Amino acid sequence: MEPAMGMGIVALMGAAATVAGCSEDLESDIGSQSNPNSQVQLAAQVGYPHRIFNKAISGEPPSNAMYCAVGAGVAMVLMSESVMSASPLIAIAIGAFVAALLNGVFSTTSYMGRNASQTRFNQYVYLDVLRNQILSLMGHAYITTFCIVLLSYVMWNQDLIGHPFPFPVIALIWGLCVGAIGSSTGDVHYGAEREFQDFKFGAGLNAADSGNITRYAEAGIRSSMDNAWFCSKFGGPVTGIAFGMTVFLDNWRSTAFGGWVSVAVGTAIVILLIIYNRKIETYARNKYGPFPEYAGDIEA
Amino acid sequence: MTDIITMLATNWISIIGIIIGGICIAVGVHFVPVGGAPAAMAQATGIGTGTVQLAAGSGLTGLLAAGYMYMTLSAVDKPGISEIVLICATGAVGAMIMISVTMIVGNWVYIYGVGVPPASAKVDYDPLTGDSQAPYVAAGTVGQGMPTVCFVSGAIGGLLGGLGGSLVYCMLMWVNGDPAISSIFAIGVFLVNAVLPSYNIQGTIEGFHDPKFKRVPKAMLACFIASLLCGVIAVMIPGAGGF
Repeated sequence: MEPAMGMGIVALMGAAATVAGCSEDLESDIGSQSNPNSQVQLAAQVGYPHRIFNKAISGEPPSNAMYCAVGAGVAMVLMSESVMSASPLIAIAIGAFVAALLNGVFSTTSYMGRNASQTRFNQYVYLDVLRNQILSLMGHAYITTFCIVLLSYVMWNQDLIGHPFPFPVIALIWGLCVGAIGSSTGDVHYGAEREFQDFKFGAGLNAADSGNITRYAEAGIRSSMDNAWFCSKFGGPVTGIAFGMTVFLDNWRSTAFGGWVSVAVGTAIVILLIIYNRKIETYARNKYGPFPEYAGDIEA
Repeated sequence: MTDIITMLATNWISIIGIIIGGICIAVGVHFVPVGGAPAAMAQATGIGTGTVQLAAGSGLTGLLAAGYMYMTLSAVDKPGISEIVLICATGAVGAMIMISVTMIVGNWVYIYGVGVPPASAKVDYDPLTGDSQAPYVAAGTVGQGMPTVCFVSGAIGGLLGGLGGSLVYCMLMWVNGDPAISSIFAIGVFLVNAVLPSYNIQGTIEGFHDPKFKRVPKAMLACFIASLLCGVIAVMIPGAGGF
């Protein structure tokens, strides 16, 4: 493949990954999946019933790996000559649709099951919450799956990159990766900031306040849509940048360089990131200073 | 029965490779700073997700890079030891890139989104930079974010995880030569060796400076046994299935 074509493909994959990362994080914010879910689950038990969607199907990486593998599996079957030789774009779209349906089934049963088991804490199953939010969950899951299956197809196709792994396995690995990144980056914005927005800015959640999630919105009672609106301003886009950067940097060094040079370039990227991390750490320490409540004898 | 013994005798190098790979993964998991659910609420130092999920996310990203490199090199000739070293290095760097990007963006969220400076609660001073940590830990929490020591530890964890996963993949390719079977089995061996050490970690670990890190030898023993079993089964599956 020509170098320009190779770089174009890598850039396309990076762009698809950025969109996938962003929508994956917003999907988990609307559904309150992954780690911040522990507080949503706890809230009713400590006396704060709420109208936030509650679905911890599993950790984000396994659930996204499943959607993407299913999407890729369906697309691969549809594309095969013995079935219907569908065009890749249509096949991927249908595969992502099937994955979104799967997401809908899991989200519904998860919401119903979790809230039904909390009736003794006055936490009800709100059918309007279910109706209003299930489609946006499925929509975001569709976008995530579509983008990841698309970039996996580009990697797998013999005329493009020609990766030796089977198509669904590549999608499974990228699904696992996007889930791990989403739950490590964007979810912190939801769990540490949005869920506890009526506490003072500039600290993590004090263990004594566990479960006391913010239940009232800018207007009326807070719903998961409000959370997605807030997180789409920072948490979602940075998750997209993280996943896009991972896909782009990893493929760029393999495509543009070969052998030990690609290893050296990768190591240089990691060292640069360590130095940059030190820079922003020092910036934060100087900007925010030590916590005034600190009573120990170690100097800041 | 004779077939099985012959198969084991022929592929003993691959079994040893799978064991070494498994132990690398187990040690690598201990290096990754994982804060679990509390870290997602900026309540604990480390990355806000589970041990296995993060280790698998980074290690398997490295596996994709390693798989591609294996294909490129094997187009010329059957990969020997020097090629395997290059493939494992590619996988290790791929995993390091994934985990470093995740940590840097995680720190963006902690610093700009939540408004907290990264700080560790397990040590008074950062062993690498010498910065004081305790005054920067918020009340009612056990640290937040990824200070330099955790970041470096995480990069080493990614390196070991990617290295181990790629080594397992290369060893399986030596046995059966089929990327499909080898990749699926490498994912399986990776998960086995990532799950076992998480019993040591019990939800959170900050990296090599954490007191829990001293439990590594137990995980190595457990993963040695588990990888031995995985290795024995792995070299027999293609033969028994007639691939």
